[in-house]
Amino acid sequence: MAATWASIVSGDLSRPRISSSASGLRGQRNSSSANLSDLSSQASRYHSSALSSAFNTLSKISQLPTSVPSYLEDSLYCERLVAARCPPSNPAGLLARNPSLTSLALVAQARGAGLKLDVKDSQITEDDVPTPLPTKWNDKDKSGGIDVSQDGLDVQFLGPNKVNEYDSAAVRSDHHMPRSCGVYYYEVTIMNKSREGLIGVGFCAGDVILNRLPGWEPFSWGYHGDDGKSFCCTGIGKPYGPQFNSKDVIGCGVNFRTNTAFFTRNGHLLGTAFRDLPTDKKLYPAVGMKKPGEHIRVNFGQEEFNFDIDDYMKTERLRACQDIDDTPVDKLCPPLEEAALIQSLIASYLQHDGFVETAKAFQQDLQAEQNALESGKPGSAKPIELMEDKDALRRQNIRAAILDGNIDKALKLTQTYYPQVLLRNEQINFRLRCRKFIEMMRQSAELSNGSHKKATPASSSGSANKGRTFETYEEDEDIEMVGDDGGTRSDWDMDGDDEDYGDGDDNDHLSQNDMLERLLEYGQQMQRDFRDKPELQEEMEEVFSLWAYPDPMSSPVAHLLSIDGRTIVAEALNSAILVSLGKSSKAPLERLIQQTTVLLRELGEDGGSAAFINLHNWINSVDCLPSA
Amino acid sequence: MTSIAATQPPPPQPSSLSHTEWEKKIDNIRPSKSDMNALVMNYLIIGGYPSAAMKFAQEANINPQIDLESINRRNQICTSIYEGNMQSAIEMINDWEPDLLQTHPRLHFALLRLQLIELIRASMSANGDIQPALSFAETYLAPRAPQYPEFLKDLEHTMALLCFPPDQLSPPLAKLMDPDMRKHVAAMVNEAILSHQEVLPEAKVRSLVRLRAWVEAKAAQSESERLRNIPHLELGLVAPRTENGGPAI
Repeated sequence: MAATWASIVSGDLSRPRISSSASGLRGQRNSSSANLSDLSSQASRYHSSALSSAFNTLSKISQLPTSVPSYLEDSLYCERLVAARCPPSNPAGLLARNPSLTSLALVAQARGAGLKLDVKDSQITEDDVPTPLPTKWNDKDKSGGIDVSQDGLDVQFLGPNKVNEYDSAAVRSDHHMPRSCGVYYYEVTIMNKSREGLIGVGFCAGDVILNRLPGWEPFSWGYHGDDGKSFCCTGIGKPYGPQFNSKDVIGCGVNFRTNTAFFTRNGHLLGTAFRDLPTDKKLYPAVGMKKPGEHIRVNFGQEEFNFDIDDYMKTERLRACQDIDDTPVDKLCPPLEEAALIQSLIASYLQHDGFVETAKAFQQDLQAEQNALESGKPGSAKPIELMEDKDALRRQNIRAAILDGNIDKALKLTQTYYPQVLLRNEQINFRLRCRKFIEMMRQSAELSNGSHKKATPASSSGSANKGRTFETYEEDEDIEMVGDDGGTRSDWDMDGDDEDYGDGDDNDHLSQNDMLERLLEYGQQMQRDFRDKPELQEEMEEVFSLWAYPDPMSSPVAHLLSIDGRTIVAEALNSAILVSLGKSSKAPLERLIQQTTVLLRELGEDGGSAAFINLHNWINSVDCLPSA
Repeated sequence: MTSIAATQPPPPQPSSLSHTEWEKKIDNIRPSKSDMNALVMNYLIIGGYPSAAMKFAQEANINPQIDLESINRRNQICTSIYEGNMQSAIEMINDWEPDLLQTHPRLHFALLRLQLIELIRASMSANGDIQPALSFAETYLAPRAPQYPEFLKDLEHTMALLCFPPDQLSPPLAKLMDPDMRKHVAAMVNEAILSHQEVLPEAKVRSLVRLRAWVEAKAAQSESERLRNIPHLELGLVAPRTENGGPAI
């Protein structure tokens, strides 16, 4: 089972290779080589509505480094870094990866296509901006006897030849090592050493004095080149590795899962040097030296490392995967065991999101399985209840109506079956009305463009509203809405005649002038209805600005007319209906993903094994949909 | 509760968040619909649910060229196993993937043992004859038993079924007669076929569920008080009976 999880984190490590001759199911895509643009697009899909980042967050973002070391490329840390650095202002990037309808809808949402749904809830917060990685030595955080080069990578000893025996010179990096990386690693090249080779490589807390080599002070750890000893917060070292030679590459890694540190020399692991590192201290890479002529250059990941840290990281990921695979799930939702839990998750998702036919088929498949299993015991085959979710069916009709652009039908169905929803959700009511206006505008624009399509049957105008209150009707529970206009009218939308909401024919006969007149009436009605809602005015004005253009389709606000907006309204209404039914507005499967994402992020911050798991990469990478 | 909260303003960096705050954090995550649809599609395909997979491809507008044949064939094989018709299951497997059973001796043994169990089950009926079971064991299972030590143990265990009347089986023996045994073997076969065809044999949603359980367990063991104090987060699943039994609105 480790294999499965391995593929989750590494994308391909132990995933069976795809051969072109395999006759059956085939994986299609293997995006294990996650490059930055991929990551950015993936990440932004999860932050897609975060358009307006807070200023203080922005300033933090600007400090983020521009490249990420290869061993962190697949990590959640890196994904968050990229997401924070490039807020998805560039929808083209989003499209490049997955041009599915759903991501289109998200793009539309990101652009704020007329509807600003909950933007304030999903801004990039301080929370979402990860600690930047060390990028260079900090010229302002060093001892006097040391010189940091212009690019911040080279360090040379300058100080006087004769110094106090204990005096040396050290420097810290610009940022601390983020625990959420899981593992942090850097290398220094010994460009030149003095005869003794008194160079120390390691890390320390931010407040440790810098006139001592790393390792000689409390909260300071280092590996020293003169004697090859490791120093753990004390002046007395332990034999650890070889002494440094010129041109040696010394690597230093901290594992935040085990809270240990290791060193490497010229690509070879020297073993664990320190254990029980404190978890509550921010630790900075640090080097120190003591003799003239000593000179090192650091590689914080801007170049390839000598040591195969990618492989080390992979091992950590595999370990986490193994751990996950061994996790029992029976406490998640007792009394369900794994198979039953998954079946419930799938079935409830299908019902919740209105995949009615699939839900039915799934039940039948499960029933068939059950029947076959019980066939040995005659008479004992218990039927799996085939429940038709009436409610899901209705919601599906409403959604379909909106996606068709038939807002009136959606409004009527909603009013009939869920009268409270529109009363209690002014916002949604307003958005449906806006969308109705937009649909009329689309139609009018199509008329005037001569493309006389029936594709968008936005029908009865609803112009002659008699009032903005909804009257609920005592309806027969059994009325069939589709194709039946009798007994379903309300004051909401009646023109007084028997206009059929399910049929857009009337509008085909309307002249452009009639259309515009209706639009005008509808707009005025909306203005009257929402007059006393100042918070809605801005949005309403934006929608009404469509008026200003002779051809709205090619106007600067043409994006408002995009049919992607329908999906957003449909989703919002669907959620509101679910809430009104006392159900969560999210399917359990969706909640599962949300919870896992949040918990992974929180755990990752802590530097534990969770830092090695990237859920988003995984969902997006192994696309196992086989093709014929 | 509220009065305490009112008199003591929360510290700037609260060490633990309230249930509502966690819920809010969670709500801010927006998994994409296409990702979730992909998860579901993947499950239906891997699990071998042919009609659901077909419908879902239509309703969710996913890749219309799903390899229905593979789903159907796996489904037929598994159905045969569920029904206890091992002979036909083995034939279908050999038809489709002639070298699968040869290269998977454990799987082959598991199938043959299940076939033996079915023969024993048949012999337990009113005027059952145990001869077919005995000769089957002798011909097909005994020669394989020396291959691996656990084979011999499994075979002996299975043969013990013959010694007891069906209503007096000890729990470990009764387990062999349980439909779950068939389910287990069917899952093995399904997985082996998928691996053989170089498809990741485990549904993603299954790993996801484990990951969810794992993060919760990890948080509970964490050194950080903030993580230890994460409240139990409900999935929102209700017992199927109440959900289905409840009135539609």
